This record gives sequence, C-alpha cells and structure tokens, in this order.
Amino acid sequence: MRSVSSERGARGRSRAVLVGIAAAALALGLALLLHPRPALGAVSVFLLGVVVASALGGALAGIVASIACFLSLSYFFTEPQNTLRVARTEDLVALVVFLLVALIVGSLVSRLLDERARAVRSEQEARLLSYFATKVLSGEPPDAQLRDLAASLVESLRLSRCEIHASIGERSFDAREVRSSKDERPASVVVLTIGGEEVGSLLAARDSAHEALDAADARLLEDAARQVTIALERAIKDEQIGRARTEAEVSEVRAALFSSVTHDLRTPLSSIKAGVTSLLQDETRFDAQQRHELLTTVLEETERLNRLLGNLLDLARVRAGALTPAKEPTALDEIVESVLHRLRRRLSGVHVRTILRDVPDVLADPVQLDQVLTNLLDNAVRFSPVGGEVTVSVAPWRSTVELRVADQGPGIQPDDRERVFEAFYRGDGSERPGSGLGLAIARAIVQAHGGQILIEGAPGGGTVVVVRLPVAGGSVGDPSR
Amino acid sequence: MTRVLVVDDEPQIRRALRTSLSAHGYEVQTVGAGEAAVLAAAEASPDLVVLDLGLPDLDGIEVIARIRSFSAVPVIVLSVRERQADKVGALDAGADDYVTKPFDVGELLARARAALRRSESHEVEAKLVFDDIEVDLGRRLVMVAGTPVHLTKTEYALLEAFVTNPGKLLTHQWLLRRIWGPAYQVESQYLRVYVRALRRKLGDQVSAPRLILTEPGVGYRWIAEP
Repeated sequence: MRSVSSERGARGRSRAVLVGIAAAALALGLALLLHPRPALGAVSVFLLGVVVASALGGALAGIVASIACFLSLSYFFTEPQNTLRVARTEDLVALVVFLLVALIVGSLVSRLLDERARAVRSEQEARLLSYFATKVLSGEPPDAQLRDLAASLVESLRLSRCEIHASIGERSFDAREVRSSKDERPASVVVLTIGGEEVGSLLAARDSAHEALDAADARLLEDAARQVTIALERAIKDEQIGRARTEAEVSEVRAALFSSVTHDLRTPLSSIKAGVTSLLQDETRFDAQQRHELLTTVLEETERLNRLLGNLLDLARVRAGALTPAKEPTALDEIVESVLHRLRRRLSGVHVRTILRDVPDVLADPVQLDQVLTNLLDNAVRFSPVGGEVTVSVAPWRSTVELRVADQGPGIQPDDRERVFEAFYRGDGSERPGSGLGLAIARAIVQAHGGQILIEGAPGGGTVVVVRLPVAGGSVGDPSR
Repeated sequence: MTRVLVVDDEPQIRRALRTSLSAHGYEVQTVGAGEAAVLAAAEASPDLVVLDLGLPDLDGIEVIARIRSFSAVPVIVLSVRERQADKVGALDAGADDYVTKPFDVGELLARARAALRRSESHEVEAKLVFDDIEVDLGRRLVMVAGTPVHLTKTEYALLEAFVTNPGKLLTHQWLLRRIWGPAYQVESQYLRVYVRALRRKLGDQVSAPRLILTEPGVGYRWIAEP
C-alpha cells in the first residue's frame, strides 16, 4: 500500500476531495438501488462509503465523504424527501450521530492505514541502513562501497539520480548512479562532515514521474549520509594503517640488512687487521712460511672485500634504478675466459671444467656479465668440496645463449630455488660465509639484459645455475612461469 | 736507473707505489694532480708514467693527450672497475695499459716491465720463440711444436701484431686499424672470430689461456713470454 501521507499540496487536496465525493456518490447510488426510500438503514451503506473514501483518499477524503454522505442521507433518506430539511427530531439526532461516527471512523481508518504505511516504510529504512552498515564493515574498497550505497538508495527511494562526492586530504571519492534523466525535480543535498569539517555531499533526486522527496525521505538520506561518512573514515584509517605497517616492515628489514652488511664488511677487515698487526709485532718472529700464510690470508680477504663492495654497489644501483647495462656485442666465451683467468687463485681448490660451444654474440655489458659469472663461480667454489668439479659451459639454446655453472656441492632444495635470489637470503639461515647478495645481483643484471636465470638440480647432487641471454636482437620469453 | 712518474691524488697510493717501485730499483717521482703531471712529464722525461684516472683537476684522457703531444713515454693507467668507458678511452687516447684498483703491485710491475721493454727495444727480432710457438717474421712462417701451421693472411697479420707487441694490451680499435686499415669497415665481432681461429690453430685453451688473453670490452693481450 502506498504511503498516503506522501500526498501533499493543492493537487493532493483536490484529489482527496474528489475521492471523497466519488465515494459518497457511489454509496448514494448503491443506497438508492438497495433500499426503498425513505429508510435510514441506508446509513450502513454510507458508512461503508466513508470507510472506502478514507482508505483510498486519506483523512480529508473521509471528512469530505462524511459530509457528502450526511447531506445525501438528509436529502434522500429522511422525511421530507428531496429536501435538506429534517422533519422529525429523532431523525436529526440520528443524522448528527451518523456524521460524528463517520468522521471518527474515517479518521481512524486513515490513521490506521497511515500507521501501517509508516511501519512498512520504517522496516524498509531499517533494512536499508542495516545493509549500509554491513557494506561499511565489509572491507571492500571504498569506491565500490559508495557505488553500492548509491545504487541501493536509488533502488529503495526510487530516485532518478544519486551522487556521492567526497574528498579527504589527497584522496577523492566519487560515486554516481543514474536511473533516468527525465525532467528532474530539484535535488536534495546532504552535506557530509567528518569531525565538523565538510568533506563532501550526498545528492538525491527524483524525476517528475514520482512524488517529491518528503521529510521522512530526507531523514533517511541523512542517516544514509552518516553511514557514508563512517565508510569514508574507515577507508582513510585503513589506508593509514596499511601505510604505517609497510613503513614499519621496511625499516625493520632495512635495519636487519644494515646489520648484516656491516657484519659482512667488518669480517674480512678483521682478518686483514689481525694479519697485518700481528706481522707488525716487533717481539714475534715469524718465519718465511708463516709470514707468507698470514699475508696470503690478508690478500684473500682483501679480494673478498672487493667482491662484496662490487655487489653492494650494484645492489645500490639496482635499488636506485640505475643499473643500465652499457650493451655491446659480447662473446660469452670471452667473458668466461677472462673471469676464469682473474679468479684462478680463488679457483685453485677446485677442478674447473669448461665446455664452450660456438655461440652467437649477445648484446650485453661485459663488466656486468663479468660480475654475474664472478658471483656464480664464487658460490660454486664456496659450496664445493675440496677437489670437487666446477663446470662452466656455454651453448646455444633456442634463441638464446645459455651459460651454466655447475658444482658438486650440497645443492639447493626445490623449495628454496626461487628464494635464494632474494637479497641477503642465505638458505637455511646457517652461518655460511657469503653476503647473500651474489645471486640477487646476478638476477638483477640478467633481467636488466632481458634474460633469465634459474636454479636446477644436478642428477648426482649439486647445483646448476642456468643463465639465458637473448642473442643480439632478441629477448627471452618466460617459459618457467 | 729507470725513472717512473707516479700520478695519483691519494697520498696513500703514492706512498705505497713509491715504496714498492723503489724497492724494485726504480727511481720514483710522485705528483698529485694532472697539471703537475704534464709539467713533470715534460721537465723530468720519465721512462714510465703511472697515471690514476680519477684526478681532481684534469680528465685522465686530457693528461694523456697532452703528454702524447710531446712524448711517447709508456703510460699505465690506474682505474676503478666501474669506469670501463674511461679505461677504453684512455687506451684509445694513447695509454699503453691499465691496472684496475685495488691492484696487485706484482701485476703493475709486470706491466711496467713489459711496457719498458717495448719502449727500449725498437728493434724487433726476425725470429721469435714463445714456449712451443716459433714465428719467423722474415719468411712469414709459424711453427707449433715443430710442426708448420698454415695461417690465412688475416690470421698471420693478427699474430704478427701480437708477437711484435708482447704483453701489451691491444684494443679492438687498434687491431682493427692495423689489420684492416684506418677505414676499417669490420666490427669487433669479426675480429673475435679471427682471434678464436688463431688460438685454435696455435693450441691455446680458453680455460687456461697461455698465449692470448681476452679483456672483454677492451681488447687482447699476448701473454706468452719470449
């Protein structure tokens, strides 16, 4: 049942009057047909007419119908007939009582129906607000929430347009639902405020096919607006929390990395200082062999420190987005040769095997590729058993050139084969020497060249690092993903 | 007494080099900047210049160019790994060799010796022997372990360039110009192909090169000692 109290204004009133008169006329017609005149039993028919008028046209219609029926009764159904005069006193009393009863019944009926309509509407509103509240707590992104809210307002209030606009700090939110663009009535606008500050507005409009928004609708819009501001506040807070959490994580990671790096830098320095200061001790006499050993350690630690520094600088460049390779046509076998020669002392404890097939040139930065191979060989040596075999091979593979470095060490578990490429990751967390940067840098460089790097397991145990670089003029796909 | 001019803005490096070089019998003069280096090279006429590329006042390449305008003194350049382009630029401007910091003094001394040897002996022997390689420049004959080896014209030209400049770093550009002429149309990849072929014929292994050493991105060096 429509809400009858939404009828307002002159149009509504004239309509009510018409309804009242029409109901009375119908009742009159019915009464004339049913009862032989004059019979005051027609009263029951007229009373029915009043009830119908109130039900259909509201309180005003009921009043109009009451009066019209009263007059009809007086005219058609009391002596003398066809005049408004009433002969007998008891008839007059009966008529007056009828009028009173009609008025009372009419108002009761219309109020009853009003209450019912109001109850239905309240239920609708409650349901709508409950839906809003659920949406706000749902954790959906705020723009989606506002869109849903606007849509449900359009739905339940039969709006032609609903818009929500808000801006908080640097964030702005907009939602718009348009149902029809026929002549629109003036829109109702509710201002959204957070903490007393105006942050936006909620706009609702109906088109001319529907009645204008009334006070109850306005109240509903205000409640909805309050829900919208809650949703917005929540969205902002969530973003702030998210940012704070990320910052905390980042500074935690940074602190951990920093302490790891300072440790790694200090360790070789400690060995160097220890070696040198002990040689500087005047009291101690070292023989040539001991002196040679100490100094060899100092030299090795110097080289280790230099490698670490190279990796750290590359890491800094990667982080700053400045790792741009200076590419030129490069022969991978020449890189292998150069690095093997330079690292010959470091590789002295293992047996190096090379398998170098004919390969086309790759477009690459020779210094950076040198760094990649240096890091891979460094790892291979570190994890190889004494006298173990390290194999370096270069071969064509589809449209790429493939470089493989294999060792006979403990190998890397399949679960770890991606994680080892993370900066500062060191496998099972054991105190293995090595900065944990080698593979991370290698990957950054290889990827900056449009290539691919991955870990495979070797059939007899051990690790194989596979690097694929595009032949000059191509780029590697990503078949592993 | 061989005179060496050391140019580096770091006092610790100057001190370290002065100590090592004098211990090996060289007479050492040190300066800390480019302008002073050019002046010292002109006035003192050293037999060798060791030049750091990271000088505060003058670009290293500028220093070399200026010195080259009046002297052919061998110049060995000190540079950091990250400045690859500077290194190649220095070599192209006339430097004879380079050593990467942090450097091995032994390596520096070996390069210095090689550079000095080249500058002293302007006479090139007609017959050269390196391990099991024999090269007769007069008759253009090459023997490996007593067996004659046939080289193509280009391969021989390449070998000749190497053996007449032992220990010297020959840049791609230098080799291309020498073998194919100043208007060379050939890219360094082709040079690589010839080097590879030459190595194969001479029996040089990549995993343990003993004749030709590659400096990727820069050039090649004949490392066999006569």
